[in-house]
Amino acid sequence: MKALYDTAESLKIALAAIKANKSRGVLTTLGIVIGIMAVVTTMTAANGLGNTFRESISALGSDVLYVSRRPWVISGNFFEFRNRKNVELKEAEKLDRYLANAVAINPTTNTNKNVKYRSSTLEAITIIGTTDKHMMVSASVPESGRFLTAFDVQFKRPVCVIGSEIKERLFEHVDPVNKRMKIGRTSYRVIGVMEKQGSAGFFGGPNFDRQIFVPITAFMKSFGGHNRDFSIAVKAPPNIALADFEYEVTGEMRKIRKLRPTEGDDFSINQMNQLVGAYNKVMGVIVIIGLVITGISLFVGGIGVMNIMFVSVTERTREIGIRKAIGARKRAILSQFLFESSAICLIGGGLGLLLAFGVAALISKFLMPASVSLPIVVVAMCVSVLTGVLSGFIPALKASKLNPIDALRYE
Amino acid sequence: MALEIRNVNKTYMMGTEEVRALQDVSVSIKENEYVAIMGPSGSGKSTMMNVLGCLDTPTSGEYHLGGQDVSQMNDDQLADVRNQQIGFVFQTFNLIPRANVFHNVELPLVYGGVRPSEREKMAESAIEKVGLTDRKSHKPTELSGGQRQRVAIARALVNKPSIILADEPTGNLDSTTGEEIMAILDDLHKVGNTIILVTHEKSIAEHAHRIIRLKDGRVESDITTARANGAANGVN
Repeated sequence: MKALYDTAESLKIALAAIKANKSRGVLTTLGIVIGIMAVVTTMTAANGLGNTFRESISALGSDVLYVSRRPWVISGNFFEFRNRKNVELKEAEKLDRYLANAVAINPTTNTNKNVKYRSSTLEAITIIGTTDKHMMVSASVPESGRFLTAFDVQFKRPVCVIGSEIKERLFEHVDPVNKRMKIGRTSYRVIGVMEKQGSAGFFGGPNFDRQIFVPITAFMKSFGGHNRDFSIAVKAPPNIALADFEYEVTGEMRKIRKLRPTEGDDFSINQMNQLVGAYNKVMGVIVIIGLVITGISLFVGGIGVMNIMFVSVTERTREIGIRKAIGARKRAILSQFLFESSAICLIGGGLGLLLAFGVAALISKFLMPASVSLPIVVVAMCVSVLTGVLSGFIPALKASKLNPIDALRYE
Repeated sequence: MALEIRNVNKTYMMGTEEVRALQDVSVSIKENEYVAIMGPSGSGKSTMMNVLGCLDTPTSGEYHLGGQDVSQMNDDQLADVRNQQIGFVFQTFNLIPRANVFHNVELPLVYGGVRPSEREKMAESAIEKVGLTDRKSHKPTELSGGQRQRVAIARALVNKPSIILADEPTGNLDSTTGEEIMAILDDLHKVGNTIILVTHEKSIAEHAHRIIRLKDGRVESDITTARANGAANGVN
């Protein structure tokens, strides 16, 4: 009971003290406000980047394996992969025959070409030769028009489906569907526009909005099929674990390539998770660095609070003496000042959070979707209080240890 | 409640010099006594007051307060003794400036762990005893010196302590107000409180029934005053 009344009294004193020194409180709080805002913004931005990244690579499909010459994320000896032979189109056909349980098998190949519509040109656009199966392995769909059909592929029709960025940059206000455009030196008719994917481009990842899909047969006719490297997308059946299916695909590929048991794989099997893993590794480091830097600003804010708490203790030495004379125990005095510093930091944390909400709104408007999530709010509040307790502890301890006689005599 | 100090010494260092503030002092004060401690400055009366008030512990010697050996207690135990057994009235009032009259008076009860409803009743009654009921939501700065000292007295007696220790209670007041304050202390004595008064003014000390004079840290004299006899006669 006694502790409860002490605590209520401590809270009362703390709030009164902050109210009595408003301008000083505001300045002290500023350090915490900025610190918490920085920390929250960092966490929010990291979250936003993560979401954007995951969304933008979702087009790859989480249950799709990509058989290609090289791994997407290269670790180790690059030259080991460089001398591998290309994945060929006929290997895709064989894989299609052997892997009876695969939902879909889609070979693709790509090149970079300049594209042109009337007088405007875009340089180095990724041109992807693919088939109608693309729709089965990828989550992305056309926003207008249609995707390639088996008919388009079979008859090598010069038609193309463009990414949203191509539409915006090349066609601007014109509806691209049924317009003719040049890819390299060949004329293609636009039959569809893909939905916007959002860019993972700023991580050095692929930009799926800056692509043009053409029938793989037309691709080879226009840009040559000799010595081309393919990637084979294999969609796993729903009733099998991806790892097991990967084992199966590896086995079939080794059979196709007639590898001896002692030889290693001379191809790679990629999946979306590898990109996620690589991203998490890189982002993890960036976020930690970000948190350390912003944490330093919070730490500086905490030092400011500690400083002002020392002032507060000195200022109220006499009051501490009075309280002790009439029977306040050490703990009562200690909690009085801990409450004060925690309240300052909590108020600062609250304001910092509000500012962070504002910054997140700006980021959302101009950069990428980002919002302050509930766990971040909870963490920020806990960190605020913790900062308050830590920075108030030494001054509060000093206050609680004051000798009542000396404190009463203090002028 | 009776208190007794036996062979108490208090020495402390002032710079490099050792000051013997109290030397072998033995005093025993019975319940409902009205004692004045007098002496010139440097006589050790402040130290005596601090020791009696449990603000300080003696270097050697014993201090028994209502059967408890106070000289062996730690800081928190001393805080509890101050809270429960002793009411202080200081020369400089020592009120908390930001808190109003009611809260100042209530404070010892807060630290004593008394329930809020009970607290309010006890504080109201103490404020009424010193005649400040209409001022209870004023801040100390809005009160006169005499009123402030009355608040301090209300705070001193709110916890129904065994002893009220008044250190130069009239030192910062004019003589008329001083007399008013002394009248309140006299009344408190009449209703059964033990009062210890530290003063260097003879006229104030004369309110007491027993005067202990200190000089150079020793008890110089310990006399019962005429007034005590008068009071005793009055009782008879």
